[in-house]
Amino acid sequence: MRMTLYHGEPNGPSLTVLAALFAKEVEAELVHIDLASGARHTLSCAQDPQVAMSVEGEGPVLVVEGEAMTDSVFIGCYLDDVGRGAKLRPADPYERWETMRWCRQMIERTAPAAAYLGCRAHRPKADAALLERIGSVDLRARWEQIGAGSFSEAHLTDSRGKINQAAERIEARLDGRDWLMGTFGIADLESYAWLAGMVRLLPAAFAGKPRTAAWLERVRARPAVAQALALSRSADPAASWSVGPEINRWG
Amino acid sequence: MPSVTLYHWEPNANSGKPMLALMEKGVAFESHYLDLLNFDQHQSDYLAINPQGTIPAMLHGDRVLTESTAIMEYVDEAFAGPRLMPEDPRDRWRVRWWMKLMDQWLGPSFSMIGWKVFVGPAVSSRDPALLKAAIERIPLPERRLAWRKAISGEFGEEELKESQRRVALGIRMLEQELEKRPWLASHEYSLADINGFNLAYALPLAQPALSNDELTPNILRWLRAVYARPATKACWAMGRTSMVKRVEILEQPHIGAGKIA
Repeated sequence: MRMTLYHGEPNGPSLTVLAALFAKEVEAELVHIDLASGARHTLSCAQDPQVAMSVEGEGPVLVVEGEAMTDSVFIGCYLDDVGRGAKLRPADPYERWETMRWCRQMIERTAPAAAYLGCRAHRPKADAALLERIGSVDLRARWEQIGAGSFSEAHLTDSRGKINQAAERIEARLDGRDWLMGTFGIADLESYAWLAGMVRLLPAAFAGKPRTAAWLERVRARPAVAQALALSRSADPAASWSVGPEINRWG
Repeated sequence: MPSVTLYHWEPNANSGKPMLALMEKGVAFESHYLDLLNFDQHQSDYLAINPQGTIPAMLHGDRVLTESTAIMEYVDEAFAGPRLMPEDPRDRWRVRWWMKLMDQWLGPSFSMIGWKVFVGPAVSSRDPALLKAAIERIPLPERRLAWRKAISGEFGEEELKESQRRVALGIRMLEQELEKRPWLASHEYSLADINGFNLAYALPLAQPALSNDELTPNILRWLRAVYARPATKACWAMGRTSMVKRVEILEQPHIGAGKIA
């Protein structure tokens, strides 16, 4: 089966998908694109609804037999199904529910917060002609706000709170276990990918959390994660951010 | 076999998703109806089960499950009965992609309009002191804010306009997708259809200018096909409010543009 993965720097959703691909030993052509300059919108599949309207924002795109797939956790599930490497999700339905619930909290609460704080510290930049090509009106609006350096205090405060909560949940979850779901998998990848870059930006959230600190090191040392990080073109992939999911409009 | 208990409100949006999934699988469950409009979900006996105070929650034996979409995947995997996730991995990806779009992008816009026209007015006439106390009991800050806005009619014009834009775009996306295949995300009935029906079952009534047999024939075909399933009929029969009775619009053989009273 012919696959092409368009990915950005190994951070955030690109890191999840790259590491899942390597862990599952799936063969794919890897194409590095600069998500932080909006390069995804130059791809021939950019206007496919599943790319243009991806809730994740500027994430990687896996093209399989002409179909462009987005959203890192679900691409991870797909790779878990088709690859031959060790399973990235538990077999037991209840433990699978725990995994999907955990990932849902990550993508809905943590990812928007991390992307907001990450983009403020390391601003992505797309030129005006490229912004016009963005198919989603709300994604384009987020690009314009970030490009203008317009970050709301309310959203910044809320985002810091969400990162704090994520670190607290992880610290509690790791009581008596090395990996979030018992064995290494998608929940570890997705959580690590959004939080690795937060440690320097929000050290207080991670202070006094020894289990989380050790877990971050363990994830980084996994061969699949190390292989993904080695693809970085910068010295510091955790400082590479692009526009992420929207912060919940309901508050 | 451990027993199944579902704590739910109406067959609508999040509550309806595990209700319909269980009924499609043929899983018997004890139904605990929580009246969302009476804030039953924030009472201490329910908070002991789900401290976040969100509906629905499912008990399977002594295990508590929350998050409606994740519960649906659990129901499909943990019980015998017809498969509700396709076999092909790429089809499964498509099911999850659509459920996420509906859960996180389209659904909140539908709900904002729904809360403005249905939930807010339904509770706003109650004693303000009691309402204030009820809101203060809500565990999640974002839900407190949502209830406050709904009750005081505070969803701003801009917010509602944006929600309406998303609803219109979501309807176009659904129509285009349903033009490709009989069901939303694959060639067989799946959790994406259950999720989508819970969101869109009253669409031709709620958005008559955007969804009807002339403008969106594929959406209407799809809604009628889901409604024709025995599990859907049984599930919607569990509804108690006029809100869910709106599903009966789908019994009309033809819903033309602008002909709905």
